[in-house]
Amino acid sequence: MNENPNDPFDELMRRSLHEEADRIEPSDALPEIRARAHAQRPAARRPWLLTAGLAAAGTAAAIGAFTMLNGADNTADDGDAVAGSGTTTTATGLPASPTPSELTASPEPSQAPTEPPTTSPSASASAKTAEPTDRGVPETAVKSTVVPVYWLGQQVGAPKKSTVRLYRTWAKVSGRPAEQAVRIMTTKQPSDPDYYSVWRGAALNTVTRSNGIVTVDFKQLPNTTLDPDLAKVAAQQLVYTVQGALGDNRTPIQVTEAGRSGKQLFGQVNTNEPLSRAQAADVQALVWIDSPAENQVVKSKVTVQGVASAFEATVNYQATNLKTRETMKSFTTAQEGQKFSPYSFQLTLTPGPWQISVYLLSAEDGSITNTDSKSIVVK
Amino acid sequence: MAQPAVVYEECVTHESSWDADEALTAVYTAHYTSLVRLGALLLRDTGTAEEIVQDAFVAMHGRWNRLRDPHKALAYLRTAVVNRCRSRQRHLVVVDKHTPRTLPDEPSAEQAVLRTAETDRVIEAMRTLPEKQRTVMVLRYYGDLSEAEIADTMGISRGSVKSHAARASKSLRQLLEQNV
Repeated sequence: MNENPNDPFDELMRRSLHEEADRIEPSDALPEIRARAHAQRPAARRPWLLTAGLAAAGTAAAIGAFTMLNGADNTADDGDAVAGSGTTTTATGLPASPTPSELTASPEPSQAPTEPPTTSPSASASAKTAEPTDRGVPETAVKSTVVPVYWLGQQVGAPKKSTVRLYRTWAKVSGRPAEQAVRIMTTKQPSDPDYYSVWRGAALNTVTRSNGIVTVDFKQLPNTTLDPDLAKVAAQQLVYTVQGALGDNRTPIQVTEAGRSGKQLFGQVNTNEPLSRAQAADVQALVWIDSPAENQVVKSKVTVQGVASAFEATVNYQATNLKTRETMKSFTTAQEGQKFSPYSFQLTLTPGPWQISVYLLSAEDGSITNTDSKSIVVK
Repeated sequence: MAQPAVVYEECVTHESSWDADEALTAVYTAHYTSLVRLGALLLRDTGTAEEIVQDAFVAMHGRWNRLRDPHKALAYLRTAVVNRCRSRQRHLVVVDKHTPRTLPDEPSAEQAVLRTAETDRVIEAMRTLPEKQRTVMVLRYYGDLSEAEIADTMGISRGSVKSHAARASKSLRQLLEQNV
């Protein structure tokens, strides 16, 4: 009709639709989307070389909101060297050769210092052609990402009292994802009061990768001694968290203390050899809630999502208004039975504090065997 | 639209090497809010719009290997959101025929206060439009899309976009003038 750009009708339409749209402020859904994206298929394996090469290509500054963090300790050179690209980059800080350690003479590749070293750019540039196999390569730092952090949670109805399983929460971090995830796991209290960590007191040094192994080096490992079963799951807590942050479920995790391997973890787990990921069926909670998160404020229409490995795929749930005691109870089905697969269901809740519980029932006697719960606030 | 989108435009050209997670985070940061708003304008139901956009992001993550390009990813998301909103609306129309009921986002009292009288009139008038015409208008005036982009997004010809826009403009002008 009227193609005049200054037509007051066009102006009115534009102004009104934008005004209407601006009233809508959706809440953050990235953790949920990520969780669902990963639940629908195995996480895409992330080749580090690719991300490191990306930083090397000089796009770091241009990525704006998604910038790689800094030049001082970015790993561009190493990624480049491994990728065989001839690009010369200036931002470097990573030692081109294993850093001599004051603590040990062991040739572990995991001794990247926490402080950015002062190696000159030319030195590392010339080292590009060196064999990369002997060097631990830290992850690329990112401005913002979401990482899974695993915790221990009691398995209810288990035959043995001390049976624990891994539960997952999501955390927004900036920096090196795996390092940040381990720091949260070792120093923070999980938001869900049902979860805990036996890694408190451990002090992380670095997470580096070389030659098909991810090395997690601690300044100090936890000193507690645990019973063997608990210790095994606790070790897997680290494996799952590191691998989750790296998007790589296959590369084994070598645990070292001040660069040295071999200390018994929790007095039980041998760390002479790298730790491989245990079968999910052995250590992962058979049902958990990915979303909403503990203490999340939500609208009345709540989509609850998670992962379950349930007999005949049946996931039971109950929602209780903590003030009025109003309770809803029903069940849903996961996509597949007897193996880990996503489930979701919707609730319409009245405003107030609610607790949502999901649980699995024993096929034999109908007792509750596994559970997870979240307290949320409905606006 | 939003500031992040501008920064984003400057940087995406290099990012064909993003993996699915990086792409998801980046595209989410830049476009999630505006896509939800787009969906909400089409559906007048923010909750459903959020679900639809989230579904679209999950689908985008799944097919990142084929998209490989943030621009394509955005086009894909926009198309997915518009399609899903449209089929949702068609479904609602069918439901409405059987059970007379209020439309999903019947504005609550406080929302009505926040909205200016002028916007109110436009939004009310938009409600009277057939679904295709309304979609064209939303993409044009909120999405700032060209005729060609609207045609691609909706899977219709440019000629159809033109005629839907013309008819919609005509009805809206009449309605809005009456009400002044």
